[in-house]
Amino acid sequence: MSKLLEVKALSKSYQKASGLFKSEKIQALQDISFSLNAGETLAILGENGSGKSTLAKLLVGIEQPDSGEIFYAGQPLNCQDYGKTNHLIRYIFQDPARSLNPNQKISEILHAVLTYSTVLTFEQREQKISQILRQLGLLKEHGNYYPHMFSGGQLQRVALARALILDPKILILDEALTAIDPSLRAQIVNVLLELQQDTGIAFLLITNQLRLVQHVADQTLILHRGQITDYGTTTTIFSAPEHDYSRRLINSAQWN
Amino acid sequence: MQLLDIRNLTLELQTPDGAIRAVDRVNLTLKEGEVRGLVGESGSGKSLIAKAIMGVLHERWRITADRFHWCGEDLLRLPYQKQRQIISRDIAMIYQEPSRSMDPTAPIGEQLAESIPDHLLQGVSWWQRSYFRRKKAEALLHKVGIRDHKAVLSSYPYQLSEGVCQKISIAMAIAKDPKLLIADEPTTALESTTQSQLFRMLASFNQLRGMSVLLISHELETVARNTDTLSVLYCGQLVEAGETKDVLQSPRHHYTDALVRSVPEFQPDLGFKQPLYALPGSIPTLQHLPIGCRLGPRCPNARKECVKTPVPERQQNHHYSCHFPLQQRGSDE
Repeated sequence: MSKLLEVKALSKSYQKASGLFKSEKIQALQDISFSLNAGETLAILGENGSGKSTLAKLLVGIEQPDSGEIFYAGQPLNCQDYGKTNHLIRYIFQDPARSLNPNQKISEILHAVLTYSTVLTFEQREQKISQILRQLGLLKEHGNYYPHMFSGGQLQRVALARALILDPKILILDEALTAIDPSLRAQIVNVLLELQQDTGIAFLLITNQLRLVQHVADQTLILHRGQITDYGTTTTIFSAPEHDYSRRLINSAQWN
Repeated sequence: MQLLDIRNLTLELQTPDGAIRAVDRVNLTLKEGEVRGLVGESGSGKSLIAKAIMGVLHERWRITADRFHWCGEDLLRLPYQKQRQIISRDIAMIYQEPSRSMDPTAPIGEQLAESIPDHLLQGVSWWQRSYFRRKKAEALLHKVGIRDHKAVLSSYPYQLSEGVCQKISIAMAIAKDPKLLIADEPTTALESTTQSQLFRMLASFNQLRGMSVLLISHELETVARNTDTLSVLYCGQLVEAGETKDVLQSPRHHYTDALVRSVPEFQPDLGFKQPLYALPGSIPTLQHLPIGCRLGPRCPNARKECVKTPVPERQQNHHYSCHFPLQQRGSDE
């Protein structure tokens, strides 16, 4: 099976002013390569500032890489070409309450996504919206609600609906499961697992919860200061981490 | 000795649509040197209880309790001044989001020096006091594991990482050597390596100084590892309390059971990518609380009797409030 997403030697650095005329270069990511198959989950672990979120931003095209290439199904992909790529790779933010427009009804938010990225008629869009809401365990009537009328877990479902309505092949979850309450988190994890089984969508999971990673991720990638320290299948990484830092990270889960 | 003994604590907020009972008859006890966990979802009133103990709730909240004893003295019946005096002497709290709970306009050194109580400097001549204060602040930083005290003392909160800020707020809390430390979601902003550091630190203070800790969190797995006893809240009602091991191994309330089963940590034989156990529905908002047992609409075993609030029952040290408790594992299966 060919790789769905392949990233080769991706690097990114930021310029930061230090002093009046000098500027400092911060290497956020250095030489990152990995690949992702359809129907699989890749977990990215690492401490704050290790470049996890930068990597996610590069993949959805919010930032442009300095060097390196991203391939989608064998074809090179320019992630800043939103019209082409936003069908394929979607992104869910950490805090659903702050990433949805409080002035718009849910149906308006979802309509906007479809009008920007598809050529569907109004009726087709309506149909699509009610279908996606039902798929995620919400009702069609929820389309008339405003974001503040939902609870946290439901809002995360709405954010999922916004991401999934374009039938993406890859979904990036940037700490999307951290802030939710435990009993609702299990619900969302179940929705995601079911979705993966039914549609073969691939997930890129950025998180700090190691046990969750062990449960859902096929592959794991550990980032430390912008570099990959460990990359492989989850079972091998958790049983025999190679790098010192990875070992510390994984042991911290057992002993804290 | 019983340090904190709260019985039937009720917190109500008066609104135009009537009173909202955010915390409904909660019992809480804490012995000297005990580490107690307080678990619940967001909005279940964990932080409200902590604030009520600290006496920093907004005056619109109405606090009633049958008993609100701190070391044998009823705090609610004391005059305000006296109450403040006792609380500021004995209880310290670490707040959520440490960088936001510090003064952004003052350097860390000033804030830390301010939190050192005067009685620790008694016997020091007045011209030496500021020097001793600074020395003490440095020592506190070393105690919480910050080696580079010079840089930290002169910097402002925004210049430091969240982990360092958290350590500083612990340093401020232990400056007065409190009997009780309330840690309100201390690890939400931290990554896992810093988290384990922080828990090791709390454990060592607990053992070395006999400091009690009330650890508030919504993550069951971290609480389970670091506490002796556990109280579980749901929507402002206490559903279960007891020794941590006991509660987690044989939960009697359906909410605790669901909580334990929804966390992959406690399910060693869960297969890879198997669905997790989850309660249906979502947490009710404070304006639309169900009557009786508040888990009612989501409970898999709800019956007609559940519209009445269950009376807390007790089996040895294990308290639970449910009309139809789960059978103890082992005796039943």
